[in-house]
Amino acid sequence: MKPIRVLAIAGSPRRHGNSELLLDWVLDEMKQDPDVSVTKVILNDADITPCRGCNACEKLNACINHDGMDTLHDQILDADCIILSAPIYCMSICAQAKALVDRAQVFRSRKYVLKLPVVPPERIGKRFGIFISTAGQDWDYVFDAAIPVVKCFYHVIEVKNRDLSYLMIRSVDEKGAVMSHPTAKEEALSLSRSVLQTMKERLG
Amino acid sequence: MKETVTVIGLSGSPRRRGNTEQLLDRFLEGASDAGGITEKVVLSTLEYSSCKGCNACHKTGSCIMDDAVRELYDRMLAADCIIITSPIYTMGITTELKSFIDRAHYLWVRHFILGSHIISPEGKKYRRGYFLSTAGMDQEDVFDTAYPMLKALFNILGFTHCVGVLARNMDGYGGITGHPTALDDAYRKGSEAVKGIMAGRPCLEKVKR
Repeated sequence: MKPIRVLAIAGSPRRHGNSELLLDWVLDEMKQDPDVSVTKVILNDADITPCRGCNACEKLNACINHDGMDTLHDQILDADCIILSAPIYCMSICAQAKALVDRAQVFRSRKYVLKLPVVPPERIGKRFGIFISTAGQDWDYVFDAAIPVVKCFYHVIEVKNRDLSYLMIRSVDEKGAVMSHPTAKEEALSLSRSVLQTMKERLG
Repeated sequence: MKETVTVIGLSGSPRRRGNTEQLLDRFLEGASDAGGITEKVVLSTLEYSSCKGCNACHKTGSCIMDDAVRELYDRMLAADCIIITSPIYTMGITTELKSFIDRAHYLWVRHFILGSHIISPEGKKYRRGYFLSTAGMDQEDVFDTAYPMLKALFNILGFTHCVGVLARNMDGYGGITGHPTALDDAYRKGSEAVKGIMAGRPCLEKVKR
């Protein structure tokens, strides 16, 4: 079979912190399968500037900002599975991840204004997403404000809600705290296996 | 009777003189006409970086980045009324505003960890914070995700979160000038805010969420 292409975006400004550790656990498990090819992008190094709100993409079908998004735009479209990891800062995803999400406006313009396909029709329903997050606070609602933003991002890049999974671990603040979390690693590995299984069935 | 009322309005939109900034301008006009000393800050014209998550402030209470953010927070802490504004992009506040709010972490640390930033409940009663926003979509819940961030920010700066102005369906109205009430509401709120603070009246229209 064709390789399953996984694009992993580490959205935290902190390298090898809690949200990136969760991401790595998910990726390491997937990489054990020879059919999986993984590309990992460190968002902080990817040079993604914020959306200017100019709406030029509604006419041009492209962004006028030329930066790291030129590459990431194509990587997002090529992948079968897009994994975004981002910590919660002040009740939502960190600003670096919000910059990426807002730059997905070009996909929204393509889909809803220009009425053009974002991915070829045969790939619709065969795109998958995982949102990985961590939060320092232990409040059960700490991820609530991030979820509509993330759903909107996946929606415009043609990942259906039913194919979007979540791995969200709270009460981990200091670097590496997720390693002493009682269930986080097992949750990451088990989610990784189940998403891969579904992808194999659907893409096979 | 308080004679000098300082009002700082933050424009969080990357687009100059768009719907949200016009809304802010009307609020500031109302505030100024009522006798307030107003100032508008356009975040997209300032130089600042996003929070790096280094947690150095957990020990020192200060941010290692020396840019426009600290000076602005100092002035906001000294103001009587602050207005935070942002259009909704992808169901949330803009990156510019989120980046600015993330940088307030050192104030959170000062308050909750180091105890060096004291928020007086009495002062908070009379200081007013407003959130103004616009959204292209006509979806009822389109502003919802902004609130937890604003609540946290107003709390840490010591302002009562007063009901502001939310104008959705900008796409349908063809912009803020097509909206039946938003600009007038903003002017009235600006005027009421300054008059209320001058008279020593706490805000009664508080945000409940």
